[in-house]
Amino acid sequence: MGSVRRRVCQKVGLESAISICLLTALFLIGLGIFIKQSDYDMSRFGIGTIPAGLSSQQLDVNREEKPVLGSLVSAGFKPLSEAEIYNPENLYEKINGKAPLYLESGFVELFTQRFISDTDESLWMELFVYDMTAIKNAFSVYSVQKRADVELLPSMQFAYKTSNGLYFVHGKYYIELVGSAESAELLGAMGQVMQNISSNLRIDKDAKIDKLALFPEEDLVLGSTKLYLTNAFGFEGLTDTFIARYKFGDEIITAFLSQKDSAAEAITVFENYYKFLLDNGGKELPTTNPKIRFVDFYGTLEIVSVAGPFVFGIHEAENPQLAAKVQKRLINKLLESTETPQK
Amino acid sequence: MTEQRNYDLDRREFLSRLSKAGIAVAGCGVASYLLYDAKGPRPGVRAEDLVTLADFSVPQKDGQTISIVQGSDRVETVDKAIELLGGIKRFVKKDETVAIKPNVAFASPPMLGATAHPQLVAEVVQLCYKGGAKQVLVTDNPINDPASCFTLSGIGKAVSQAGAKVVLPKDHLFKHTTLAGGKLIKNWPIFYEPFAKVDKLIGIAPLKHHHRAGASMTMKNWYGLLGGRRNVFHQDINTIIAELAMMVKPTLVILDATYVMMTNGPTGGSVSDLKRANTLIASTDCVAADSYGCSLLELTVSDLPYLAKAEKAGAGTTDYQSLKPKLAVIS
Repeated sequence: MGSVRRRVCQKVGLESAISICLLTALFLIGLGIFIKQSDYDMSRFGIGTIPAGLSSQQLDVNREEKPVLGSLVSAGFKPLSEAEIYNPENLYEKINGKAPLYLESGFVELFTQRFISDTDESLWMELFVYDMTAIKNAFSVYSVQKRADVELLPSMQFAYKTSNGLYFVHGKYYIELVGSAESAELLGAMGQVMQNISSNLRIDKDAKIDKLALFPEEDLVLGSTKLYLTNAFGFEGLTDTFIARYKFGDEIITAFLSQKDSAAEAITVFENYYKFLLDNGGKELPTTNPKIRFVDFYGTLEIVSVAGPFVFGIHEAENPQLAAKVQKRLINKLLESTETPQK
Repeated sequence: MTEQRNYDLDRREFLSRLSKAGIAVAGCGVASYLLYDAKGPRPGVRAEDLVTLADFSVPQKDGQTISIVQGSDRVETVDKAIELLGGIKRFVKKDETVAIKPNVAFASPPMLGATAHPQLVAEVVQLCYKGGAKQVLVTDNPINDPASCFTLSGIGKAVSQAGAKVVLPKDHLFKHTTLAGGKLIKNWPIFYEPFAKVDKLIGIAPLKHHHRAGASMTMKNWYGLLGGRRNVFHQDINTIIAELAMMVKPTLVILDATYVMMTNGPTGGSVSDLKRANTLIASTDCVAADSYGCSLLELTVSDLPYLAKAEKAGAGTTDYQSLKPKLAVIS
């Protein structure tokens, strides 16, 4: 009996071990599928998703803070349409081919509604409130779409108007007011909406874009700063890149600056961008400093440099002397801002 | 004792268990056999129910494929452009039904140039009636709410006053199609019914920058015929535009560059996005019209890969100069 029992126990033990192995394998496969499926990139299919770094809990918080558009519009205008809300999955239904610009920049929700004048039905405006998660993202979509030759509005840090519209950043929101006509009455009403938004739409007032302060102010073209979150100057590796323009008479010099997570990463980006320029027809120019490279790019000058976590330089300058001047100012400003630049 | 009962099997119990296991395996096999579908998953629509858009094109005439007219008044420029191609009677015969497909993609005012201009669309409606048309339909499948798009763009009112019938998209007006040789348009719903019983088809598009495609012109205008979750095609925008040019064989296309949306397309949002170019193009060749049009956006043919793709597929030519464009200036 004893040997039978031992045999049975051995058999049961073996079967248990095999079962545990199989169950573990199945569990791991299931876990793998769950992880993969919960993190797939819907934007590959033209459908947005919750921006990276934003938990569903944070998303819920945002939902609780939905702007009530009707309350932001001044007297003399009434709703022309129902308020609409779009998310990353259906944003394209509102703005079609422009949706990727927002989806790639942290877009969470769009709140939109049209309002019409009580007295003149040809005058209506559409209010677009894009929740972009963070002020940096809102500034990016604001700046890359900013029209030329516009009137900057001093009442807000990032705001301008055209003859039929008003565009500004309010905290994490990028806001557009688009009018049906070039009308002073309409622009006046839009200005009132902007004030209402500034006063009533709650934001994190401490949120700022500190990198803009790293650009020297002398000769800076007011309102010329832009932020490319990805793919600056056609180079995929150049992310979170701020640019600013400097004017000297009729000549414009464009400076750029991108802060990386570490000095080592900055050097990698610096080398790769330099290589990218050469691979695309640029010609190497002599340099004595290994951290500054000069490239003749089809008759314009590119300066690429690295210092600490910063990759910075000058883009497509036609005047080398002015390019060198701005580059020097940029270096001095960076040194002035922080002797050992760290994020 | 229990363990002994379980594991000390006699011959009878062994055969009994073996039989049960065999029956279970055989049962699974039979069930699998019965449920097995050798043909695999089928498309949602049977092949015989797929539709194909008719060929609405007219016979080509040497030197009358494309006309480019400069002028600021859309009514005058479109009249002249069509006259240079042989006149409206070349395109519309007596008692024919004509469908006009303007770009009505957005619920935005005409001033912003995101949609076809109502004055231009209305003039083409009137020209069709002058040509002898029995009925003119104006239709599009906008991404925004269709009624709002037709209302706020001004197109609904303008074409109704000109005598056209506005057809808004409804579910039952869509049918599935598969483009022969197509990679993307396979068993895909298209806005089909309004075009099923018409004799001619005219496309009217404004010339616009497009964030994804580079430019939105006459070929991209056919995107409005796609139903379903058509935004998936934005991932391969050049192929889908080329396939649309293969799928739709229009009678005539009109590209309005009186104002060109140079930036922030396709929605725009400010008159600052527009540049006055005072040009209107009419053509029986979408590819040629767009190949000329892109120059007004300060682009070249090579900047828009869908042009070469469409040309390769036989939808037209990018070498519009070889067509000897008819030119005119209206001062």
